[in-house]
Amino acid sequence: MSDRSESFVLRASDLKVAYAGNTALSIEQIDVRRGEVLGVVGANGAGKSTLVNALAGWSRGAPRVSGQVMLDGVDLSAMPPHERARAGLLLVPEGKLVFGEMTVDENLSSLVGMSQDADRRFYDREAVFELFPRLSERRNHLGSQLSGGERQMLGIGRALMLGPRALMLDEPSIGLAPRLVSTVLQTMRTLASTGLAVLLVEQNVRAAIDVVDRLVLLERGRVVAQGPADAMRNDPRIAQAYLGASST
Amino acid sequence: MNFGQQLINGLVMGHAFALVAIGWTVLLGVARLVNFGHGQMYMLGAFVTWFAIATLGMPYLVAIPIAIVVGVLVGLLMQRIMLQATFEQNLVSIMIMTLGFGYVLHGAAALFFGSTGQILDTPLSSKEIAFGDLWLTWQDAAIIVVAIVEFIVLKLIIDRTRIGRLVRMVAEDPKLAELAGVNVRNVYLGVFAFEGAAVAFAGAMVGPRTPILTSMGFDEVIMTFVVVVLGGIGSVTGSYLAGIALGLFTAFFGAMVSPAYTTAAAFVVLIAVLVLRPGGLAAGAR
Repeated sequence: MSDRSESFVLRASDLKVAYAGNTALSIEQIDVRRGEVLGVVGANGAGKSTLVNALAGWSRGAPRVSGQVMLDGVDLSAMPPHERARAGLLLVPEGKLVFGEMTVDENLSSLVGMSQDADRRFYDREAVFELFPRLSERRNHLGSQLSGGERQMLGIGRALMLGPRALMLDEPSIGLAPRLVSTVLQTMRTLASTGLAVLLVEQNVRAAIDVVDRLVLLERGRVVAQGPADAMRNDPRIAQAYLGASST
Repeated sequence: MNFGQQLINGLVMGHAFALVAIGWTVLLGVARLVNFGHGQMYMLGAFVTWFAIATLGMPYLVAIPIAIVVGVLVGLLMQRIMLQATFEQNLVSIMIMTLGFGYVLHGAAALFFGSTGQILDTPLSSKEIAFGDLWLTWQDAAIIVVAIVEFIVLKLIIDRTRIGRLVRMVAEDPKLAELAGVNVRNVYLGVFAFEGAAVAFAGAMVGPRTPILTSMGFDEVIMTFVVVVLGGIGSVTGSYLAGIALGLFTAFFGAMVSPAYTTAAAFVVLIAVLVLRPGGLAAGAR
């Protein structure tokens, strides 16, 4: 069923999201390739979270979503969020992303009887601790006792245990100290180098541009610019609005 | 007043309250759901047990699992119908629907079992254990034992097992649980099936203590409500302790003042607790 000859892992086409009749997002096509970190940037309200939530088929609100979402050649469009997660499309959401009343160990316990597809890597708890040693020191703490950075690591760890084909992160750097931001973002780079497709939503363009391969700029729910990170660094819209460059 | 006898009565009653309430504890703690048909499901559990023994001639130990299966089926059917309201956490709808289910169960049971009172006789209910002038029936002793076992097993399942973790995830944040690959709908169905099984089991165990009527159920749902709220919503340990406390209170208040006012007095205590300790008696414990 899957077509491995395609270079993209995640592809969405004709994706439209509306809240109470108002269009919040309208995207013709967006792809994430194997081993690539795709950055999605834009101002507050540009539709970044709406985009990743729509891909995951998930929302804390009640949006109307249409369009097609393909993951490794499998059409996820009709699947509820938990099935998309089991198929390997994992979202680490913004805001509340860990179970606060459960310990780190419990947050990282195997949850559902997964089909152990041979081409997916299902991290175990020890592998997550290897990636984030900080979590193993905190393994008996409750999720609600963790710092913002630790929660982010825990959210990513939980997603890795579910065997992602594509991993989506919604503003992982929000509220983190600068040193932690680069640690978390560098981890994305490391994960992509193992063949994972990573979609990174960020408001912190300066930090994101150093780790992403390609950048998509959203404004008012539409793609207004996209391209390789290096080219986008010199794009006047990015440079002026987000990188604070005097003009080039 | 015979202090020792009231203590025994209170402990038996308390374990009976806890046993009747256990399903609702999980229901409210996990799915944030209420079930005002709980009392009628208790009634149905008692009547199915009675029917299996008195009419079909089955042994008590076979009648109990039959009652549990009927309870599971009723629970699943109710939850299937209320699923949309559950996802939307539409509590008003759920309250009215479960209240309605209660009346439907009452009507159906009256049609099928008749409206006359029956005695659910079990091999344990007529045998007494006596120490001096203190006594209880083997049925009473069985209620205490199974209530303790059921609470311990439930606590271990919730704290230590994969199913317990799934249930706690859905209790804390059903939306986040979806992203972790959890089929929230199945967890809700499972929790309601447990509620049906637990309350039917309670009907089979506690029903033999009093004559049973298809019109009963109101007292049971009210006492369950008191136990669950007093114990701290969703707290398994708290419900157990609250059940015992309510049983002892009912026994001693009945003996010292008057049994006629025990429900009123229980609510005075409940209101006082809610004002002083909004989280319930066992706030903090799970």
